[in-house]
Amino acid sequence: MSNCMITRLDAEDFIIAEAELLDEWRMPEWAKLFTKDAVYEVTSPASPTPLTDEPESTLFLIADRIDRIEGRANRLMKAGTHAEFPRSKTRHLVTNIRVRERSDGEAGVRANFAVYRTKEDTTTVYMGEYHYRLVREAEELKIRQKRCILDVNSLYDQGRLTIIL
Amino acid sequence: MTLHASVGRSLVHMDRERKTFRVNRDAYKSPEVFEREMALVFGKCWLYLGHQSELQKNGDFVSRRVGGRDLIFIRGRDGNISALYNNCTHRGARICRERKGSAKNFACPYHGWIFNTSGKLVSMNTVHGFPEDINANGRLDLRAVARLENYRGFYFVNYNPNAISLHDYLDEARGAFDNLCDQAETELVILPGEHSYTVKANYKLMAENSYDGYHLTSVHGTYFDFLRDRAAGNPAALAQIESTIKDYFTSGRTRSLGKGHGILESMVPTGRPVAQWIPLWGPELKKEIDAKRAYLEAKVGKEKADYIAETQKNLVIFPNLVINDILAATVRVIEPEGPGFMRVTAWAIGPKEESAKLREIRLDNFVSFLGPAGFGSPDDIEMLEICQAANAHSPIEWSEMSKGFGVEGDPLYATGRPDDENHMQSYWIQWDRIMRGIETLEI
Repeated sequence: MSNCMITRLDAEDFIIAEAELLDEWRMPEWAKLFTKDAVYEVTSPASPTPLTDEPESTLFLIADRIDRIEGRANRLMKAGTHAEFPRSKTRHLVTNIRVRERSDGEAGVRANFAVYRTKEDTTTVYMGEYHYRLVREAEELKIRQKRCILDVNSLYDQGRLTIIL
Repeated sequence: MTLHASVGRSLVHMDRERKTFRVNRDAYKSPEVFEREMALVFGKCWLYLGHQSELQKNGDFVSRRVGGRDLIFIRGRDGNISALYNNCTHRGARICRERKGSAKNFACPYHGWIFNTSGKLVSMNTVHGFPEDINANGRLDLRAVARLENYRGFYFVNYNPNAISLHDYLDEARGAFDNLCDQAETELVILPGEHSYTVKANYKLMAENSYDGYHLTSVHGTYFDFLRDRAAGNPAALAQIESTIKDYFTSGRTRSLGKGHGILESMVPTGRPVAQWIPLWGPELKKEIDAKRAYLEAKVGKEKADYIAETQKNLVIFPNLVINDILAATVRVIEPEGPGFMRVTAWAIGPKEESAKLREIRLDNFVSFLGPAGFGSPDDIEMLEICQAANAHSPIEWSEMSKGFGVEGDPLYATGRPDDENHMQSYWIQWDRIMRGIETLEI
């Protein structure tokens, strides 16, 4: 199975391709990047230990399992999703990508992000770190976990979080 | 129209014969009105500060802005809870720059004055130059707010020393707190994590929206789409969603609770940790929910237990506290920062003794709909922001809020259908009376 080892280059290509899907608002395709047991999470800035806190006991901003990952993606395609109508423009910048741990077919990947969102005439930035658990499923890389930890103390400047980080 | 002209005249127009109720839009956007509100509404009403569970141990504190004033909410080393201005009595520096923590004392970073956790000045960091008895009357201790009172562990401040008691201020809303607090066998606790965000709109738009039943289907259509998608292939669950939407406007009601407080009570079977089981949760949890229900019945009787367990309650405590006891329970406080800008802080709250599984459901329910990244609240927020933005650039003076107006009796206690605006009317009547000096909320 050593040919299944996920390299930094694999992870980087994958995460950058994911960012492209998001910036091109191809949300249903984005949702397909996740495994059926996946979670997509954004911790609360008030989370005491955001790397290890769990949404079962601590209030998160986002704690989606696959039903809500798909639901979030589908919702963003609809004009009735008022918070994103007209749609924001976004730009995902991903950097400092590093595989922190790996086993056959699975890798823990950390990266830094800055996501710019422009709604109407206002641009705000969401910055922080990504913690991915990537797996190889039928030759394809998939996301089993994506946890985003924001470098903010509140969404004072950003207001809301209705784009996908 | 000059903005100054709006102050002193009523910004609320009621016509009982024609059954119309209107709010002048200066109430949402005029800087002069806002300044007056901060003095009269936020200077005289009881304002939510925090919950007792946030201060578990002696020395625990949180620092928080309440009605434009920075406070420290603290359980002192002596066990007494107090609310102190976060402001050094020497030269004015902020004493506490952390949002929460545990303190042995507070040392002013500027000249090193030290205050104990009750606010008492214990050191001026020098022995020279000050009269020995300079603090004999305590004037250099950290200043406490004029009034601090709690109702069942919910702490409120009032900046007016002559204000009526919190007990009297809450009026019939006390029952709503009771119905929330009675859900816990031990006590309610604020759960870790919070939602803190801003909205470019007047704080009263958020208060209105928080218990507005009228907007459910127009604003939250995509949320129901999500529920339908999730229930695909499960005819019973699908039928439940459709009947919920159909019955929403006929089951339940709005109630005005006096003093401008109000509640929306609706019957949406979302599943509630206390205590409404839905098939999605499986048979294991049914046992636990049944036990919870039995506990409630023993405590408050069947009728009240049914109400507590089955009803979704959106409560607004005038002027800026929202307690939604819906698919999850949230305490949401709205801090105005200008006529068109507010900061919202929201917490999840639940019974301390709750099982891990129900706690998980509670928090999952919370983030599914509520908060700045949920499938519901952000669409509400967009509505508030487009109201604010459009009103700023329009000659249209009045907002229409007549739905359900004109029923017999005191409008401060009026009831209506879930999609009526009676409770909002009571909010605005109270607001108008305070702004015109008719209601002082004093003893």
